[in-house]
Amino acid sequence: MLRQPLSRALGLSPSRVAPLTARKFAEQVQAQPDNVELFIDDQPVSVPPGTTVLQAAAQIGVEIPRFCYHERLAVAGNCRMCLVEVEKSPKPIAACAMPVMKGMRVKTNSDLTRRAREGVMEFLLVNHPLDCPICDQGGECDLQDQSMAFGSDKSRFTDIHFSGKRAVEDKDVGPLIKTIMTRCIHCTRCIRFASEVAGVDDFGTTGRGTEMQVGTYVEKMFLSELSGNIIDLCPVGALTSKPYSFAARPWETRRIDSVDVLDPLGSNIVVATRTNEVLRILPRTNEEINEEWLSDKSRFACDGLKRQRLVTPMIADSRGNLTPVDWEEAVVAAASALRDCPPDKLLAVAGELADAESLVALKDLLNRLGSEKVCTEQYFPLEGAGTDLRSSYVLNTKIANVEDADFVLLIGTNVRFEAPLLNARIRKAFIHKETDIASIGPKVDLTYEYIHVGDSASIVKDFATGSSSHEALKRLESAKRPVVIIGADQLKSAEGPALLAYTQELALRLQDKLADKEWKVLNVLQRTASQVAALDIGYKPGVGKHLQDGPKVVFLLGADAGVVTRESLPKDCVVIYQGHHGDVGAAIADIVLPGAAYTEKRGTYVNAEGRAQQTLPAVTPPGRAREDWKIIRALSEVCGARLPYDSLDEVRDRLGELSPALVCYGEVQNNNYFAQARQLAQSLQKPVSGKLDVQLKQLEDFFMTDAISRASPTMAKCVQAVIKQKQSPY
Amino acid sequence: MSNSIIKILALDKVATVLSMIRQNGGVFGSLYKLYRQEELKDGKLVGEDSFGNKYYENPRYFYSRNRWVEYSDKFNMNYDASQVPAEWYGWLHYKTDLLPHQDPGRPKYKWMAEHTENLSGTTGQYVPYSTTRPKVEAWMPKPKTSV
Repeated sequence: MLRQPLSRALGLSPSRVAPLTARKFAEQVQAQPDNVELFIDDQPVSVPPGTTVLQAAAQIGVEIPRFCYHERLAVAGNCRMCLVEVEKSPKPIAACAMPVMKGMRVKTNSDLTRRAREGVMEFLLVNHPLDCPICDQGGECDLQDQSMAFGSDKSRFTDIHFSGKRAVEDKDVGPLIKTIMTRCIHCTRCIRFASEVAGVDDFGTTGRGTEMQVGTYVEKMFLSELSGNIIDLCPVGALTSKPYSFAARPWETRRIDSVDVLDPLGSNIVVATRTNEVLRILPRTNEEINEEWLSDKSRFACDGLKRQRLVTPMIADSRGNLTPVDWEEAVVAAASALRDCPPDKLLAVAGELADAESLVALKDLLNRLGSEKVCTEQYFPLEGAGTDLRSSYVLNTKIANVEDADFVLLIGTNVRFEAPLLNARIRKAFIHKETDIASIGPKVDLTYEYIHVGDSASIVKDFATGSSSHEALKRLESAKRPVVIIGADQLKSAEGPALLAYTQELALRLQDKLADKEWKVLNVLQRTASQVAALDIGYKPGVGKHLQDGPKVVFLLGADAGVVTRESLPKDCVVIYQGHHGDVGAAIADIVLPGAAYTEKRGTYVNAEGRAQQTLPAVTPPGRAREDWKIIRALSEVCGARLPYDSLDEVRDRLGELSPALVCYGEVQNNNYFAQARQLAQSLQKPVSGKLDVQLKQLEDFFMTDAISRASPTMAKCVQAVIKQKQSPY
Repeated sequence: MSNSIIKILALDKVATVLSMIRQNGGVFGSLYKLYRQEELKDGKLVGEDSFGNKYYENPRYFYSRNRWVEYSDKFNMNYDASQVPAEWYGWLHYKTDLLPHQDPGRPKYKWMAEHTENLSGTTGQYVPYSTTRPKVEAWMPKPKTSV
């Protein structure tokens, strides 16, 4: 329903669909029409036809005030704040909705324009409460700023002294978003975000004139994994963050640029801290990954960083109870366990939140001790090319390019919850580009329509061999820019190697036929933030085989997924856990070494597309916790297998030796050797019969997936609220 | 006459020094007192408190230096002014000329606490407990055995 009028509206303005530098594929297809020249404040500017006046003004650095207009949402044109005078036009026009015309002379600073803005501001403030001192938006409020810059110093609306201002009842839209609806100025950004980006058509307006209200009509939770973004979008304090309410003012916080690690995409974030405490996490614009959105887990799980933390080293006493000890004692105990263990009985397991520095330090340490058993929790087939070729375990298409795809095939993945912002990209392509999506796997709600091919693994085989007569395969084969995304979870089973082989076969068969030789089809969507870096460094995926060998010492580097359990280990096995949260891993450990979480260290994380990014320390690690690679470096010294690096730069030099891609921050390398991987995989194409299933099916599964979000009270409230909402008749 | 000769020759000072040395326990005793207190004084012992601190008075010294305390040997070099109990404080600081045991305005009840010295900087110092919520809640491992 949304799709038709929007795509028509967007047909007018190609520059809004593709304003991004990342969009190189889109530019290739569109022939550039002749530019239109116009004058803004007597400065000439030349823009493609269909551009709005507001965008043209932005190009020469003239900013027109606005409330309802947002670059990434459809134009509404209802706030009227962007009124500007145009010569020979009897009335001021709304710059956000007016396409440019040849020879137009726009005046953004004339008397008429200023009077128009002042008038609009006066009307907006008639019914806006003057509660800025207790409003959470204070300091980052568009209305506050713009009324200072463009508003009048007084109002002529004296009748509100007698009748009072309009008051609106607050809505309950869940545990994340606090609504103070009296402050709402009806810009409808939240409504547009919900229906366009989040794909939840719950928000809308009821009533008209003074009676107009934004809300869900019946009381209902905003069931979306991207709901937090409407807090950022709201230009006033009508929608604010519930966990952050009355916590701090924006000018009191220190903001540190960092990278999110709670999903595999590595969204760019800003960590706002005060007095050594993470107060909130906001998205940071990165067109190639998260645009300016952020998933709810990444945004609101930050209170999990303050709970269930490991703050002191611990050693199990004679009765097996963990008791706090000094660093020296713990390091000596851990080092002597490592040193005295026969190398073939030594095992290291890296978890989902480990940074590349600690991964490389741990691997070097174990190798120096003579063990090759360093592995990750998440399995990946080692048959065929295995993890030798990077192209077989990352998103080769790259996140930003997915929106240029014309057909997306999802195999055994619920992208919506495994990588919410990748799903937002697919949805954007679906809405703006007529992209079609097909899915093999369980039927889940992806927020857009898709062709559900089935959930049997044999469909992948039929697609790969071309023997399927399904409509989706035909569409896929005729697509100019197809994308195939397989969820890494599917590769864990015994049929994993065959599934990957078929997917490679299918993707490469499609890729070979493409006119565009640069376009990559094959994508493997990893589930965790550390997996790509671990595989790059040379970790072996999966622990299953090594556990059967009966290890004597197991070193868990933040391994909390529950893959290693006490039952699967011999009785006398020493478990050393290094990490930041007391979760599954710490509970089974004999020695606990407290590490730093991602907001507390400078660490390298490689996202699912293979882009290395670094987090920056926003707060200090709590208690006696230390940066992870330093702990391993200290252990190596005591073990007698000294690691040859003393500073972070030297660790990163070592990372660069292993793979230069790990230290090219912000860059993503193109991957090659697809044909070789396909060739190696050919022998693995065995018949498959299983069913594809995904771990995260419903919204309530999404919120608590790792040690940090499991410790977060906000995430627990979200799960409860979603379950409660599911029982409600609406 | 002989007095004036003694004065001219400062022999009375020598006699004072000799009596000081005698009073402070001979040459070695005086050297120890000098080392400990950085001065050597003679005076009349007027009292001793329950900690073993000794209080002296000698009007020959000018006012404000004519009453002093020699701390008990058990404090060694770690003596400080807070080791003077409240009862002697007044006399030592010229608030009163009456010695504690002569002062009728100073009743001694049995509920009165014994004087304690200032313990700052030692392990016995007073540390107020925090009334704020900790910023980070630590993980408490589950006890594995019930014993």
